[in-house]
Amino acid sequence: MPKVHRRGRTKNRKFSPLISGIPQNAGRTKKGGSKMMDGCPGARTQDFREKETKGDESGKRQSQLRQWPIQLHLVSPEAPYYQKADVLLSADCVAFTVGDFHKDYLKGKSIAIACPKLDEGQDEYVEKIKSWIDDTKINTLTVMIMQVPCCGGLVAMAQQALQSAKRKIPVKSIVVSLQGDILSEEWVEA
Amino acid sequence: MERYLNTPIKEIITSFPEVGKILEEYSIGCVPCTLGSCLLKDIVAIHNLAEDKELELMYRIEKTIYPERDIKKPVFKASKKEPDKEIRYSPPMKRLVDEHTLIKKWIGRIPQVIENVDIESESGSQLILDGLDFIRFYADKFHHAKEEDILFDYTDKNLDIIRTILADHEAARGHVKEMLKAIGEKDTNAIIGHLCAYKDLLTEHIKKEDEILYPWIDRGLSTTQVGELFAKFNEAEEKMDKGVIEKCQKFIAEAEQRIENFHRS
Repeated sequence: MPKVHRRGRTKNRKFSPLISGIPQNAGRTKKGGSKMMDGCPGARTQDFREKETKGDESGKRQSQLRQWPIQLHLVSPEAPYYQKADVLLSADCVAFTVGDFHKDYLKGKSIAIACPKLDEGQDEYVEKIKSWIDDTKINTLTVMIMQVPCCGGLVAMAQQALQSAKRKIPVKSIVVSLQGDILSEEWVEA
Repeated sequence: MERYLNTPIKEIITSFPEVGKILEEYSIGCVPCTLGSCLLKDIVAIHNLAEDKELELMYRIEKTIYPERDIKKPVFKASKKEPDKEIRYSPPMKRLVDEHTLIKKWIGRIPQVIENVDIESESGSQLILDGLDFIRFYADKFHHAKEEDILFDYTDKNLDIIRTILADHEAARGHVKEMLKAIGEKDTNAIIGHLCAYKDLLTEHIKKEDEILYPWIDRGLSTTQVGELFAKFNEAEEKMDKGVIEKCQKFIAEAEQRIENFHRS
């Protein structure tokens, strides 16, 4: 029987939220004062309904997804679509946030998604990323995360896998704001 | 102005020396360039200045070339944010920059070598020969070969900037050849002359690559190409004799002490 992974508080992994690209005041009040918000900034209720939508909404776009499954627990790191590929490891929320996710980030890449805050069994995630690097010989890894502090764990996992892998590959980190803007895009040091 | 945008920069600076000074104010160092064949329009584009700075630069150059013309001064809106001064390289490009760091260490020691050069003594001539080996194997075969055989395939090799870089490589090889000849002939003046010329050439060359060429190439590379380049650099390094590279790194680590000992004796 395959192992069932449930979502819930991660028990055995803790990653520093101070990941490059995540604003240091991500959990502060709007005025940026010293008072910290109560509770988790990743779960704070925010309403963007007033936001003006711009751009051409006409026409239909083709999906750029070229594989199944996509959830990191479900994928085999040695699946053919990962062989020597440019892989996108995306936090679950990213695709719902970035308007042109398919066109600008998924196109031409193989993907896996994960949530570093809620997913269990994250040691397996590190092993799978390491297997991508060493066994499947992926070309590059792009990690797309939200600006909320808990999301930095996904970059930390990629760094941990890269450090323990025999091969070295370029790893890029892209941080997305809650309203879908790209806050930073930079190559990660191994 | 269209005519001058398509004119090699050396010709413009020769006719209008003030243009060279203006370019230097914007950290565009074309004046000491050995070739100067890049077109003005390419130079402005490749330096990736903030929009307001680029408008200001073009206005000043045009005003210098055509002082009698009534050129409308563009309204310079202050940039909302200062452009990022720190250059962030992709991993393969960062590797080339790191290799420059080792080459710069040797270049930095050349003045001391020149001051104490004694080609008649065995230790003196050996120091020069070891320095030349470092240049030939590390700076040229290890570093320049990666650029010529791999990196430049991702650019248009007919571009002036690439031709300038390749001409620098050839000029450096020429100095090494002449130095080897001068060592055989025990011609101290020729050794000093070529060592000095090599130092000046490489100092300018590395600055050009670190600050202009590599960031420019990086801006045009896709993520896939960055991965390919990284893998090709790894393959090229695996084919190299590791012992030779380690010997070059050891030479730099010990060079200071050897020069010091030489100075004392």
